[in-house]
Amino acid sequence: MTLQILLLTGLILFSILAILSRNLLRSAISLAVASLLLGIIFFRMNAPYAGVFEISVVAGLITVLFILTIALTKGESDVRESNLVRIVFPLFFVVFIIIDVLVMKSLVQKIPALPGSADQGTFGDVLWKQRTFDLIGQLAIILAGVFSVLALFRKRDKDE
Amino acid sequence: MIFLFIGLPLLVAAVLPLIGKVSKKTLPDLLANAVFLFLFVLAITSGRQMISQGPVLRQLNWLGEPINIQVAVDGFSLFMLMAIALVTLCVGLFSINYMDHYGSKANYYALLLMMMTGMNGLVLVTDFFGVYLFLEVAAIASYALVAYGLEHDELEASFKYLMLSVIASAAILFSIAVIYSMTGSLGFAAVGEGLRALDARLVVGFCAALFIMGFGLKAALIPFHAWLPDAHPSAPAPISAMLSGLLIKVSGVYALTRIFFNVFGLTATFSQVLMWLGAVSIVVAAFLALGQKDLKRLLAYSSISQVGYVVLGLGIGTPLGIAGGLFHLFNHALAKGLLFLNSGSVQMATGTRNLDEMGGLAKRMPLTAATSIVGSLSISGVPPLSGFWSKLIIIIALVQSGEWVLAVIAVLASVLTLWYYLLVQRKAFFGKLNERWTAVKEAPFWMTAATVILALLSIGIGIFFTFVIRSWIQPASDVLVQGIHLAFGSWGF
Repeated sequence: MTLQILLLTGLILFSILAILSRNLLRSAISLAVASLLLGIIFFRMNAPYAGVFEISVVAGLITVLFILTIALTKGESDVRESNLVRIVFPLFFVVFIIIDVLVMKSLVQKIPALPGSADQGTFGDVLWKQRTFDLIGQLAIILAGVFSVLALFRKRDKDE
Repeated sequence: MIFLFIGLPLLVAAVLPLIGKVSKKTLPDLLANAVFLFLFVLAITSGRQMISQGPVLRQLNWLGEPINIQVAVDGFSLFMLMAIALVTLCVGLFSINYMDHYGSKANYYALLLMMMTGMNGLVLVTDFFGVYLFLEVAAIASYALVAYGLEHDELEASFKYLMLSVIASAAILFSIAVIYSMTGSLGFAAVGEGLRALDARLVVGFCAALFIMGFGLKAALIPFHAWLPDAHPSAPAPISAMLSGLLIKVSGVYALTRIFFNVFGLTATFSQVLMWLGAVSIVVAAFLALGQKDLKRLLAYSSISQVGYVVLGLGIGTPLGIAGGLFHLFNHALAKGLLFLNSGSVQMATGTRNLDEMGGLAKRMPLTAATSIVGSLSISGVPPLSGFWSKLIIIIALVQSGEWVLAVIAVLASVLTLWYYLLVQRKAFFGKLNERWTAVKEAPFWMTAATVILALLSIGIGIFFTFVIRSWIQPASDVLVQGIHLAFGSWGF
């Protein structure tokens, strides 16, 4: 339980750091640490597949992409934001926590749940046999993403 | 057959960029518009036949083996499929000429087809996660399409749209997660039964609030509208027509209606919330539209206002109100699509969107001016155009259910709508011809053809509105009315 609370606190802290930090590199690394912690939480909650994907894709692959991009951009193109963000976000966060404490505590106790069926099948069963339609949706999302990249980074033809 | 609505645009989109290497313009134009036309014909012919015996559930078979891919078609989803195919077809025809100077047409059509795949999928799925998934397909394609011109404004608008849309998706996904964790299922029917078995009124209220926020953002209801007046004007005109005419209605209004009517059940409280959200959107957006100088921005605010009418009509929850809301959804899709396409013709001819710089364009662009009048008057609710009947039905439904205040608001806002549309007509098309525009010519053939089709439909549906209501609107609203009866009074609020 203590470990779980420590992990969750770390997750929130590093997430906040990722948003508030002005240094892009520090932001990216904070995000990686946050998703690493989330991956560990997934493992501890008996969701190994979610954990593996979270750590390999989000903490690993995406971080590499972020850091590569940051390395390729020039130093002087630092993002200048208004100082309002420094005030607004913590304020929003405090308000969120207050609402969370007030609402969720009473809500969580009252959330009833139907008993889950004991055997949901293996990961492969669920992915390929039960949620087959989702695969088409995912295929469509990937295609849409690819076309977006092609469209937004296109070179204008000279004759057009 | 019904799987073609998802499979065909997806397949053609996948091969279009390759075809674009061989033929830059002709083949992509031909192929994409053939798909749109085919799906439209499919919807109005075999689709009608399919649901003549009531809603059907279809399972995909692959080499004789059933695969766990199921879609459901009822009057409501078929009506949406038809509307999507019709508006997309007109947008596709318009794009033949309009998108020439943007370059990379194959890619453009691929994204448009992906957007159609997303919307068709969203309309056909039978579970919550499918809703989220296809919502994202349509959304991702639309982010890229808004930014398609690659200018500063377009990229900024697209980014703002992306950010707010992500918040909407997060709210929707969170709500779906809560529902799944309680009921252990995602299917609409199973979730509805599960929630009723648990008598989970508190959670239904919580999830409903999140859904209203999420889908409200997608539908750009006030106060969730901030992204729309930037995103819709910045996009290329055909895409503005798609976004305002279809996307906000499919990913906002359709999804919200499906969940509230067929899963949760429309209670008195939900009904009041929806009606007032609609009424506030109608009034506030109408006033905001009044002060606009940018033609497309004005049309964007008008979209918020008109979606307000749709939500108001649906929110009444009586058979007449639902029919009025759905009819207005269709009429607005036609008329707003038409007006945005017209704004594209004007922008292409003059290079400006500023109403103060236009004037007298009717002399140079007679067809664009004429179709634009039809669209404006239809949206404003002037008889005998189609928009008049849908607004009339909504107002009668409001009076019938004793909502006098809202009925008066709806009537007054309609006058306001007429006011700002007449201002547009006077500033852009009538009055003295601005000397700068003496060399302006009427828009090219396909652009004019698309707008003329939409204008003729607005007039035709206005004259034969009883036929359209009987054959398309009634089956759609019956589905929603059944949903209300099924779930009425379940939650005690």
